[in-house]
Amino acid sequence: MSSPSLTLPSPAPAAARKRRLLEILGAVAIAGTYIYLVLNQPADITGGPGSASALIALSGFLAGAILLIVAVLPTLPASTVVLIPVALVLNIVLGQFVGSTLVPFYLDAIGTVLIAVLAGPAAGAATGALSSIVWSFFNPTVLPFAAGAALIGCLAGLAARHGMFRRFYLAPVAGFLTGIIGGVVSAPVAAFVFGGTSGVATGAIVSAFRSMGDTLLAAITKQALISDPMDKAIVFTVVAILVYALPGRARLQFPFIRRYRVLAGQAPKQGC
Amino acid sequence: MRLHPLTSLAAAGSTAVVTTAAASWPLSVAVMGAALAVSVRVGTARRLLPAAAVVLLPLGLSLLMVHGLFFPEGRTVLGQWGPARVTMEGLAFAFERAAQLGAVVLALLVFSFSVSVPDLVAALSARGVHGRFAFVLASTLTLLPAIAARVERIRQAQESRGLVIRPGLLHRAAAFRLQAVPLVLSLIEDAGTRTAALESRGFSNPGPRTSYREVPDSGRQRVLRAVLAVSAGAAVAARLWLSRAGG
Amino acid sequence: MAGTGQTIRTSRPVLSAGIRSFTFHGDAAPALEAVDLQVVPGTLTAVLGPSGSGKSTLGRLLADWLPPEGAGTLEGFLELAGTRLQFRGREDPRINPAEWGRHVGFVPQDPAAVLSTVRSTVAEELAFSLENAAMERPAMKAAVEHSAALLKLTELLDRNPAGLSGGQLRRLAIGCAIISGPEVLIMDEPFASLDSAGAADLALLVEDLVRRGTAVVVLSQVVDAPLLAAETWIVLARGTVTASGPPVELLGQGQLPSGIRSSGSGPAAEPGVHQPAKAPDTVPRAPVLELRGVSFDYRPANRTGRRRRALREATGSDRRGHGVLSGIDLKVRPGEIVAVTGPNAAGKSTLLRHVNGLLRPTAGSVLVHGTDITGAPAGETARSVGLLFQQPRDQLFERTVLREVQFGLDRLFHPGEAAARALAALSAVGLAAAAPRHPAELPASGQRLLALATVLARKPSVLALDEPTVALDGDGLALLDAAVRSAAGEGAAVVLVTHDLDYARATAHRVVTLDGGRLNG
Repeated sequence: MSSPSLTLPSPAPAAARKRRLLEILGAVAIAGTYIYLVLNQPADITGGPGSASALIALSGFLAGAILLIVAVLPTLPASTVVLIPVALVLNIVLGQFVGSTLVPFYLDAIGTVLIAVLAGPAAGAATGALSSIVWSFFNPTVLPFAAGAALIGCLAGLAARHGMFRRFYLAPVAGFLTGIIGGVVSAPVAAFVFGGTSGVATGAIVSAFRSMGDTLLAAITKQALISDPMDKAIVFTVVAILVYALPGRARLQFPFIRRYRVLAGQAPKQGC
Repeated sequence: MRLHPLTSLAAAGSTAVVTTAAASWPLSVAVMGAALAVSVRVGTARRLLPAAAVVLLPLGLSLLMVHGLFFPEGRTVLGQWGPARVTMEGLAFAFERAAQLGAVVLALLVFSFSVSVPDLVAALSARGVHGRFAFVLASTLTLLPAIAARVERIRQAQESRGLVIRPGLLHRAAAFRLQAVPLVLSLIEDAGTRTAALESRGFSNPGPRTSYREVPDSGRQRVLRAVLAVSAGAAVAARLWLSRAGG
Repeated sequence: MAGTGQTIRTSRPVLSAGIRSFTFHGDAAPALEAVDLQVVPGTLTAVLGPSGSGKSTLGRLLADWLPPEGAGTLEGFLELAGTRLQFRGREDPRINPAEWGRHVGFVPQDPAAVLSTVRSTVAEELAFSLENAAMERPAMKAAVEHSAALLKLTELLDRNPAGLSGGQLRRLAIGCAIISGPEVLIMDEPFASLDSAGAADLALLVEDLVRRGTAVVVLSQVVDAPLLAAETWIVLARGTVTASGPPVELLGQGQLPSGIRSSGSGPAAEPGVHQPAKAPDTVPRAPVLELRGVSFDYRPANRTGRRRRALREATGSDRRGHGVLSGIDLKVRPGEIVAVTGPNAAGKSTLLRHVNGLLRPTAGSVLVHGTDITGAPAGETARSVGLLFQQPRDQLFERTVLREVQFGLDRLFHPGEAAARALAALSAVGLAAAAPRHPAELPASGQRLLALATVLARKPSVLALDEPTVALDGDGLALLDAAVRSAAGEGAAVVLVTHDLDYARATAHRVVTLDGGRLNG
């Protein structure tokens, strides 16, 4: 038995290339599916359930999410992998707490955005996708939204990298924009896979647009544009409050925060 | 016979895919019935039914509201109140969608409520790159009750400091901040310690692993899993081909 | 292996460190400076220091639980099994944690944090590191059984780790650290919060490991009895070594700082600090706090099962049907200090949570100032009852120490008075200088004192303390003692629960024992 070394070698570039390839494949799968669905506006959406479009939406988005996980998860440092389950539980626990008070929103991405801010876009994307997949253990209907959740995590990480969390008032703006993109991408899933929405409150909004004669996809996209940006603006604000409440040592243990100077040096002097 | 967890996963997943691809409500209803029968048989129906209801009732109501009342494409009008127009097509669409989703949800929930999570983790871990996914799944399921208990402990500690949660949005938001901050901080600290503990015990070892827990598997189950996977793929291919052929 | 003391003394160190400095990211001052140490096989080394002296940081660095490349900047070297790694703060070697862990085992203060959270039995938890090293199953089973026997875990092998008691968890954490047979075992405050039976078991285990040739390092702020047998003491204060040598030498020269406690009582350096407690004035006064026939058990009765279960896990005392109370009667008069002692998991914390209404008795009543508090929200009862929890970080949530103490005071007092009270409470616990710091960055002792200050600032008429000695160093304990006495002197009724009988006797006017759900004494 050879005696392994007490030190680690530096990471090989070949692994990084393979990871990049899988990431691109995942992103292409998601984007391609979305473009196909929107361009083709399959006529059978209300003509009969089932159908090819549901299958394309499901398999395209799911395959993309899984490719992203396969690309990212093995390359994340252990400290991030250990945080992901914590984030998934926070998605559920904090989401429930706020959800019981602010009804029309889901607020189910607090943990995902927190990881994205602490550990970067790749970790955020993996957390978002994993959140949907693990949560589908109890609620299979969230499974098709894995790609949308991954996108939210990725965008949150990019926002953090580009300094949107350095100013307290920028966080909700970033959240709002993220919500617009996330909502638009998730709408086809709701339309083609569910033929509607999974909640009664959101269903009422869809009904309103349908009564004005919109197609189902248009109605659901408009509903998403009403709910999602506000929802994500709140989530980003909550996360900003949380990360600024962390003591410096806890924040700075994350290389992503140090490297991209994600947070302002001083906590903002406001009293919330 | 004790099924290998991946065999039950393959069965549930394949059922879900085939039902979605077939898109025929008699099949959906039959799958729902079969799933419930299996659940009663293995004794998980008591826990499964409430979980399924939480998911399916709002979904069903939402579908009924959206399509039952507003379905511009509908032709056979059954009744009309102002802008709302109940049509035959709308109701049929809502029913078919609900049945199809119900079948998928029940099939998958039967799996998740009957599978032994430790067995599933052991089966996944033995398979290389899945180790990390297995970690995320198992760790989430372990942490969920522990973190819920910690939220309760923090609430107790803060009430002891004179915190009274008053009704009203602002008060609740303030209380949320007070509770979320220590929760997140302690969770991040604990995660740091857990990382060190796992790393020192070889969590990131690149080499092969063994498993302490034995999960019995058999050649027949392996064949069965392959058949299930192929049939799911075939169903998807058939549906796509049919829809292409049909225009 | 079994050599005389002489041959062991001369054998080469297995682990040594020469730390010129270690600084956390974002900190201006180093956490450790000029720390040199050598750990020799078959010896016991004690690193003694008050809270915040850098013991845990040192222990974690030695065990690679604080990877120098990620947590901060290390200058100096670590040498393990003949390999010397030099650190300069840039382009440093990256330690292979798994390989390091095979040589150096570490048991942190909070053993629950060690659990992998992905193994469903104690046996599998123990086997985790062996699985990752691809050990064959028969060898793995043998190793698990061997370690379990060593740690008295054999009966528990099929239990879920999440359901273990504190003492059992600590044994499991030690088992996870030693199952792969490391040459060095480092334990952080292993004796804290163990009752006397648990501490004796652990002392035997340490002795056994040392005899088998393991180098055991214990980090502690208390000179626990087993540490008197150590070959070497290393005294840390403010991140640097102030003295080292055999215990006899250091004790003789009086080189221990006041922050280091001797086991069971107050500061080691001032043995006379504990005057036998004088009973308060003999004029009979009406009790401030009265428990009348209080009974409690966790049977899921009226409320929903899930909430009950969360509660039970939250209080942590009830894991195997413990934490039940039957017919407790207790009266505490103003100015009186009453200590409740008893073994671990006797229900002491459960009793204390009745005092401020966090738990409602299933029978009997709790009166504060003659008023039944049952049904009042705990947040309201907190006006007159202050409860100090064992785990301070659950209680703290503000960004600075001062804001923490001021929280909620403005609702009770005028703004000016609130600020004055906050500052007075902070200086009473010696934290006035730390007012602008983040509470979470205080050392453990400081965090508990801060939590105490938040309670004292409200001038409660009943003060309830859960295990006040745990996590407090000598200086902290002296401050706590003074604060409690002065509160009692001003007429507060004090109830404290502790497993530490010596401390209870030294501090309280009256000591009662809780065992089997009943109060004796």
